[in-house]
Amino acid sequence: MTNSMQSLNGRLTVAVASGKGGTGKTLVATNLAVAAARSGTPAALVDCDADAPNDALFLAPASPQVREVMVPLPVVDEDACTLCGACRTACSYGAIRILGGKVMVFPELCHNCGACVRACRSGALSEVPVRVGEVEWGSVAADIAAPGGVDVVTGRLDIGEVKTPTVVRAARKQAEVLHKTLTILDSPPGVACAAVASIRDADVLVLVTEPTPFGLHDLELTVELGREMGIPIGVVINRDTGVPSEVEAYCDRSGIPILSRILFDRRVAEIYASGGLVIDGHPDGDEWFTGLWRAVCALAEEDV
Amino acid sequence: MQRIIFASGKGGTGKTTLTALTARLLAEGGTPIALADCDVEAANLPIALGAQETSREPFAGGSKAVLDPDVCRGCGACALVCRFDALSTDENYYRTHAYVIDPWACEGCGACVPACLFDAITMVQSQAGEVISAEASIGPMVYGRLAPGEDLSGKLVTEVRRQADALAAERSLEAMWIDGPPGVGCPAIAAITGTDLVVGVTEPTVSGEHDLMRLVTLARRFKIPVAVVLNKADLSAEGARRLKEHIADEGLELIAEIPYDTAVAQIPERLARGEQFAYPETPGMNAIREVSAWLSKRSDSAG
Repeated sequence: MTNSMQSLNGRLTVAVASGKGGTGKTLVATNLAVAAARSGTPAALVDCDADAPNDALFLAPASPQVREVMVPLPVVDEDACTLCGACRTACSYGAIRILGGKVMVFPELCHNCGACVRACRSGALSEVPVRVGEVEWGSVAADIAAPGGVDVVTGRLDIGEVKTPTVVRAARKQAEVLHKTLTILDSPPGVACAAVASIRDADVLVLVTEPTPFGLHDLELTVELGREMGIPIGVVINRDTGVPSEVEAYCDRSGIPILSRILFDRRVAEIYASGGLVIDGHPDGDEWFTGLWRAVCALAEEDV
Repeated sequence: MQRIIFASGKGGTGKTTLTALTARLLAEGGTPIALADCDVEAANLPIALGAQETSREPFAGGSKAVLDPDVCRGCGACALVCRFDALSTDENYYRTHAYVIDPWACEGCGACVPACLFDAITMVQSQAGEVISAEASIGPMVYGRLAPGEDLSGKLVTEVRRQADALAAERSLEAMWIDGPPGVGCPAIAAITGTDLVVGVTEPTVSGEHDLMRLVTLARRFKIPVAVVLNKADLSAEGARRLKEHIADEGLELIAEIPYDTAVAQIPERLARGEQFAYPETPGMNAIREVSAWLSKRSDSAG
């Protein structure tokens, strides 16, 4: 394992994702972080599911630090504004309208790109920082993940805000500062901008799925995304019944390795329900997640 | 028309199963339901109800910046204005003297276009996805398919909702069931807006509880009532007790508790495979009948 980490220049970023929600991303990401840390790799676990961040419920940082995520929002100085409309033309998102002789900014449509401010010729537009969420980070208690240790970084979108990708990027930036050997990105479900912000530039994409027609349908969509982004893909089958499924046939056909199988077992659900770690609570837990960590390293090494 | 959305914050709590089964039960009882799957990133309701596509139309996306390396002089003015780190140089720079655009980072704002002194950057329109109309045995359905990597999921959800409304009006249907997306961000807000009731589908896990409360906060912003279905209720006695306390503290109505029931969990899969079967006579199925009766009563009193 140490060898595979060395061949990767000492840094590895693993994105854990799925098309469908609730397939077990958080289960896999949290337990994988612990497995890697116990094998000696210092890990940062980044909860990029900023709409529904849950990693810290399973791996709580001992004394977390918090930072606000701010975006620059344009504001209009009405005395300086000449109503020329250059800002409205420059905006690609329809976030600026001129209504009743006034320039109006619609924050929920604004991408905070600054194009309007640069287009304004009368100096009437400036930007103010506005909060859309927060990033929280800290180390979990040493005995849980010795010797490597796990730092958990959580991106949390404020309720009613829509800037999920911005919060994801802020969480990833914070994780970069921690400079751990391994970074695990617990990604938002789906294939849209929030998922892309999380998966982008990862070395390995671990897709968590379940052996049902729904799991397969959504897996195919995420594989399409991962392949377009050029990231090597491996699959974890969660709630595996031991019966060969369409998911396995699909992976086989598509040349995608199956990295680990987690048994369909009520005990897994019960441990998860109470906020526990399956790697410790289930007799097969260590095999599933230490095995997964080994398989992830092998997949990363193959690609180097 | 009554619009009811099944939502959860957290994914995988059973939204699609509950949407599909309660809609089926009501339709079998003589109340046809219009259906909208607003999880445009992973639409599973059409699979669970065996819906047959009748038409699809493209959904236009935003634009992405495209840079012509032969025109670019490599000055980097574009990279200075880009706030999404989409413009950079790569290892070929000293040969090409050109910047490169990472299409996965570009948000299509176009700020780089006027910044370029050599007109090397143009904006190219993309197709963000499709809106699909379909026919399920129990009623008409509209769903969306977002092209992987696109950033207009909220707008696509709004378009799915608009077309579903039109289809329901055309058929004079009184009720619409909406299968919501996970999360509380842009697509979730687009899906919840203008509905009459949020059915929060949750499970007695620490994450299920946490995410349900984020959903409740969101629904309150929109002044939409929330009622809760506690799925997999017997998974954790402690979790269920805590969650029910929390639900009561928030003054939310608990519609029903559905026990962990593999016979029920397998129904959508069997429907998807087109199997003929009778509903199981299990505690889980009985609880789903309870939910369906509750919703039916509520629709009647509201209608």
